Amino acid sequence: MIQTLYLAWQYLSFHRLKTAILVTSITLITYLPTGLRVLVQQSSDQLTARAESTPLIVGAKGSPLELVLNTLYFRSEYPEPMKFSEVKRIRETGLASAIPMYIRFHSRGTPIVGTSFDYFGFRSLKVAKGRPLATLGECVLGSRVAASLGLEPGDHLISSPESVFDLAGVYPLKMRVVGTLTFSNTADDDAIFVDLKTAWVIEGLGHGHQDMAKPEAAGGVLKVEGNKVVANASVVQYSEITEDNIDSFHFHGDLSEYPITAVVAVPPAAKSSALLQGRFESADLMIQIVRPTGVMNDLLDTILTVQQFVVAGAIIVGAATLSSVILVFMLSLRLRRREIETMFKIGGSRLTVGLLMASEIIGVLVIGVVLAGGLTLITRAFGAVVIRAVLRM
Amino acid sequence: MVQITDMRFSYGESGFRLEIPSLEIEVAEKVSMIGPSGSGKTTLLNLIAGISVPEKGQIRIGDDEITVLSDQDRRNFRISNIGLVFQEFELLEYLSVFDNIVLPYRINPTLSLTSSVRERAEHLADQVGIRDKLARYPDRLSQGERQRVAVCRAVLTEPTLVLADEPTGNLDPANKMRVLDILLDYIDSKGATLVTVTHDHEILERFDRVIDFMDFHSVPDVNSQGDDRE
Repeated sequence: MIQTLYLAWQYLSFHRLKTAILVTSITLITYLPTGLRVLVQQSSDQLTARAESTPLIVGAKGSPLELVLNTLYFRSEYPEPMKFSEVKRIRETGLASAIPMYIRFHSRGTPIVGTSFDYFGFRSLKVAKGRPLATLGECVLGSRVAASLGLEPGDHLISSPESVFDLAGVYPLKMRVVGTLTFSNTADDDAIFVDLKTAWVIEGLGHGHQDMAKPEAAGGVLKVEGNKVVANASVVQYSEITEDNIDSFHFHGDLSEYPITAVVAVPPAAKSSALLQGRFESADLMIQIVRPTGVMNDLLDTILTVQQFVVAGAIIVGAATLSSVILVFMLSLRLRRREIETMFKIGGSRLTVGLLMASEIIGVLVIGVVLAGGLTLITRAFGAVVIRAVLRM
Repeated sequence: MVQITDMRFSYGESGFRLEIPSLEIEVAEKVSMIGPSGSGKTTLLNLIAGISVPEKGQIRIGDDEITVLSDQDRRNFRISNIGLVFQEFELLEYLSVFDNIVLPYRINPTLSLTSSVRERAEHLADQVGIRDKLARYPDRLSQGERQRVAVCRAVLTEPTLVLADEPTGNLDPANKMRVLDILLDYIDSKGATLVTVTHDHEILERFDRVIDFMDFHSVPDVNSQGDDRE
């Protein structure tokens, strides 16, 4: 048998181009459906894992998928904002704790997540270097962001304007990095976390400027009407919150009217969850409450349907390729007829010669299937990383 | 060495028919068979080798009657006792010269490829002047070199009978004589028997006996025909 395998190997290696084409064909035929299945399964696991750890999301009426993707993965367009007062409303029900989320802004292509301190406890996020958020204008970085941007506590990061031409809207805010988070293997690794109020400062809802009552600001005073000081355009508005100017930062209007994109509601029990859903679904047409698992399962159903189409396509292509491979084998046997005759004439055993011919086919099949198996294992090992990189989950 | 008695063979509907009432080739004899194409020379070699089986009659190689052996037994007998040389060399393009020479040891478990066989293969290659080409593939050899490889393959098992079908048919004069020398040297040194089919009358004088197949068809006793020529 060793001699037969040796001859088969010599044949395959001599015709290496033909062998490579056949092996590639077999590998792809085998790998496409299995690799795709693994990828879809891992995508499914990735998508549902974070969704399952997030009981309920409250947001403005609109696309539930957009709301969930934005809140869980900090992806997609930011959903329609709702009022911060919804946080208070949820808390007052006593049915769930409420974590506000305001995910709208970016810095160097990375989402800035405005939230409360509760979020870090909810996601079990620990500070690896530095310290947690403490004051306005600070940020902590997800581990991958810190690594990719090369930032450490003490460095600074400037928020990006939403549009180059958005001169009157979002102000670039220079934020001080005070900490980096441990690797969590989730979307949190790819986000910049700030306090909710810092996010509002970025939006321009809160700001700091020179104290116009002080003598050094006199050049900026346009007029004084009783207690009211009207400043001219020369007044200095701060783009960085420091220990020196933090006291000048203030918000105008009612904070409960300020925008957030979602509230993560964490009920202590299934009953509370059901009650909370009932209240929101029946009471408010402007607000929606969604179970992320339900939304993600709907998305997965769509993905699975697409997968079925892809697999069906792969099977058709595979069948066509397999036919070609069989044709090549048959032609190969015809081309080798003289070689077979020679071996018969010399005295080659019928079994050995038969095995030799079969071993070409078996060899190609085995190498192809082994390679496909290897690729599937690689996909299984690294697919999740690739999926996370693609989806930034 | 070869004894054929009352043998008949035909190719089905083609009408070809070969009948040999009696033919005997002695041990260590060098016999050449000549005759026009289609007269049955190669068919007779195939019958002697056990590749084809006669409709009737007996073919004995030494003490073994090959006509009664099974297909597998004939193959085993052939690979151990008979060396075959073909006009077209019939080397396997995907095997190196060395692997082509030792091919019989890889295609039938009756033979075992030992280190002594490998040494013998190298020694044979050395004798025929292709020692430095053992790693090459056949497409990198000249015609003469290919036939020398084919001869090495045929005699590696040290057969007692060598059947050569126009072994010099595709060779230039210089290579023709060299290949013939190699074959005849082996036959002489081992006391083996050589049966060759050829169209080349220039080489007939190197053989002990020549059988003319045209006469063979009309003269039942080919032994007497061979003797006459001698």
